[in-house]
Amino acid sequence: MFENKIIERLDKMLDSAMNGTFVESDYDETRLSRLESKWKEFLGSSVLSNKNLEAERHRLEQFISDISHQTKTPMTNIKMYTELLCEEIAQLKDSSPDREKAAYERISKYADEIKRQDQRLEFLIASLTKLSRLESGTLEVVAKTSLLTELTDSAIAAVRPKADIKKISISVTGCDKDMTASFDMKWTLEALVNVLDNAVKYSPPGGKIEIDITSTEMYVAIHVCDEGAGISEEDAAKIFGRFYRSNEVQQEEGVGIGLYLAREILSKEDGYIKVVTNEQRSGGEFILYLRK
Amino acid sequence: MSILIAENLKKHYGEGETLVKALDDVSLSVERGEFVSIIGTSGSGKSTLLHMLGGLDTPTSGKVVIDDKDISELKGDALCIFRRRKIGFIFQSFNLVPSITVYDNIVLPLQLDGRKADKDHIANVIETLGIAEKLKTLPSKLSGGQQQRVAIARALASKPAIILADEPTGNLDTKTSMDVLGLLKTTGRKFEQTIVMITHNDEIAQMADRTIHIEDGHIV
Repeated sequence: MFENKIIERLDKMLDSAMNGTFVESDYDETRLSRLESKWKEFLGSSVLSNKNLEAERHRLEQFISDISHQTKTPMTNIKMYTELLCEEIAQLKDSSPDREKAAYERISKYADEIKRQDQRLEFLIASLTKLSRLESGTLEVVAKTSLLTELTDSAIAAVRPKADIKKISISVTGCDKDMTASFDMKWTLEALVNVLDNAVKYSPPGGKIEIDITSTEMYVAIHVCDEGAGISEEDAAKIFGRFYRSNEVQQEEGVGIGLYLAREILSKEDGYIKVVTNEQRSGGEFILYLRK
Repeated sequence: MSILIAENLKKHYGEGETLVKALDDVSLSVERGEFVSIIGTSGSGKSTLLHMLGGLDTPTSGKVVIDDKDISELKGDALCIFRRRKIGFIFQSFNLVPSITVYDNIVLPLQLDGRKADKDHIANVIETLGIAEKLKTLPSKLSGGQQQRVAIARALASKPAIILADEPTGNLDTKTSMDVLGLLKTTGRKFEQTIVMITHNDEIAQMADRTIHIEDGHIV
């Protein structure tokens, strides 16, 4: 009987601790009262360490904002001076004797390379900033019922210029005008553009990209199929990792963060992304599953 | 922090000429919150391994540690209770109790344990798995995919230390399989659950964060 009472009291102490409402009941010379004080002390220190974690997270976010903000000016300057360099060299090259032309040609190549690397750096910093905000929860993914056509149309519009340069056609099948799923438009667009961007990048010139929409009981699936080399079984497990770049694509532009970001975004809205390996079909295929 | 550790697990049947090594010196560890798939052909020893990890069978030698507890130290009732509290099972054949409703199936392990159901948690699980409208139905009225979703809810309801899934989509068609796996993956992540899943299918294994290959009783 006596034991039951104590167990019950302890059970209540735990319950109130779990929902954060624990207060000491009474102060007397019993061992139970001493235990309560000790329990309160323990809870206090764990609340404190949670607060410290929260503060730490906030500092980290601030730090990342600083990096992203403070690097903007020097990067813009690099870009501007490189542009100037390119222009002046072009003028000098035209008005100089032949024997100097080769030297100017070389310098202009260096300038082009600086420009390319600057773009890459800009893209990398932008991606990392997005990623860290997403992971730290500063930017929330809010899923709500949204139109699929709006998503696919905007995504295609975003990659159209690059696709046009390579004469790649993009078509959508299986999508009704009023088809919906539960997703965050802005972030999911980011994810789909990343996948489409890869499809354009690794497609042969003049190729076709097909976006096929299918539906299961729980999900709407967006299949992105291209005529590129696809992903091998071996790479399938790794491509969604941070900064992973397959050996075959080391020559291509990119920093290896797009698919990781896509996976993070989808999982935050209760969806997921998977790859169909090139053992199972010719060409590449990614499938984005969005919750209905 | 490892939630599951298996050390030098061996399971041998018979002896001498007829000795069969179903598991031969298998060691692995699974981190808290990880989704791991164990892939192997039939007869590779993967089901034997899962049975050892879940305390459904005892190894010839070696040990299994779950949530800092060496389960070989547990005998009889203690092992039973440990399993009920710490491990959620999902089977190929769903194993729902046919005579009680979907909701009662989901909270059954909690009731057996004499614990109060965490209503908010369970409502959240039910919502995420999309079975809110089926709660008063008997399992036999549900499709295979829906039954397996109920089984996932049952495994999640008691917030176990680890969920063991044995070919969870073995009885389902491809489309339904992707539904069930997608939900297993998203709920695992959402509710910070550790999942170990057995499969013979590469495409299904791909859904996990990490894949362990097993062949002839060895990890390869």
